[in-house]
Amino acid sequence: MRIRRLVAVSLLALGTVVTVPGVAHASGSAGEISECLLEKAEELEAKEIDAATFDVEAKNCYAAPSPLLPATGEIIWGGIAFLIVAFGLIKFGFPALRKGLADREAKIREDLEAAEAAKASAQQADGQHESIIAEARTEAGKLIEQAKADADRVRAETIARAEADAADIRARANADAQLATERAMADLQSQVAELSVDLAERVVQRNLDRDTQKALVESFINEVGGSRS
Amino acid sequence: MSTERVDAYAEAILGIARAEGHVEEIEDELFRFARAVEGNDALRAALIDRSLPAERRFAVVSELMGAKALETSTALAAAIVAAGRASDLSAIVDRFVELAAAGREREVAEVRTAIELDAGEQARLAEAIGRAVGKNVELKVIIDPKVLGGIVARVGDTVIDGTVRHRLEQLKEQI
Repeated sequence: MRIRRLVAVSLLALGTVVTVPGVAHASGSAGEISECLLEKAEELEAKEIDAATFDVEAKNCYAAPSPLLPATGEIIWGGIAFLIVAFGLIKFGFPALRKGLADREAKIREDLEAAEAAKASAQQADGQHESIIAEARTEAGKLIEQAKADADRVRAETIARAEADAADIRARANADAQLATERAMADLQSQVAELSVDLAERVVQRNLDRDTQKALVESFINEVGGSRS
Repeated sequence: MSTERVDAYAEAILGIARAEGHVEEIEDELFRFARAVEGNDALRAALIDRSLPAERRFAVVSELMGAKALETSTALAAAIVAAGRASDLSAIVDRFVELAAAGREREVAEVRTAIELDAGEQARLAEAIGRAVGKNVELKVIIDPKVLGGIVARVGDTVIDGTVRHRLEQLKEQI
């Protein structure tokens, strides 16, 4: 798998080099031809080459190089550099990239799962909240009913107690009035008795002469003497 | 005052009276003196008041006992007052009278009446009361106008009330 991928990348790089126009050493311009001819002329003048060679070389100067194909050295070095870069990418870059993608995918999956879980939890919480609210409403209803019942009971008890207190107060007032009347009657009777006895005492005292006193003494002696304890 | 102390004073007085040979006279004089003090709050307060000079209290005792009283009776009354026991005079004298009567195998009958009783009345009254209580009694007569008329006799815890005052009280209760 890895080898096929390396071969594919190499072919892709070679095709690119061949098809893409090169930028270095693109021959054919007037300056380059002139420079080439001057160079060959100097070599002829310096007798480094003979006239025939000069003719061939001069013709070569006029021959236009491929506008696309770079120099052979550049191709070699570029290919080596490319292979190094491709090797680095395949060895380190792609695994890291794949790992990053996998991690990212896992992260996204986890986030999605967490979101799903949160959503489910939220739905469950909503259900619980609704249940709690319904229960609270039911409880509140019960409390209100209980409070009404208690209020009715307290009101009834208060009324009953007030009526009982009123009856008790009336009874006590009647009893007090009766007692006061009885006391007044008793006081009146006592005063009448006092006055009667005082009057009787005065009458008796006035009529108790010596003979009567003696008669009383004799009467006591006879009564006591006739009795035995 | 404790009963022991009252008994001690009464026995001492009885011993002196016996030694002097005038038990009954001393009984009567001290009994009347005790009743007079008992019936007069101001007099009793004066005899109890230790801030009064002793001579003044003795003078009061002498005046109450009278000139006809035996000197022994007056001296005994003054001794009780001087000892600071005037508040217990009645109890001491009553106990003395009881002891003296017991020595004669009799009980004391305290009799209150509105008028004086002659000797014959007292004798018949003593006999009647003795018959009523089943004991031999001797009378200590107190003239008390408050009874209005009739007689009230007390022998120990037994009271026989035949006074006009008692009948008026009964009438008042009935009313």
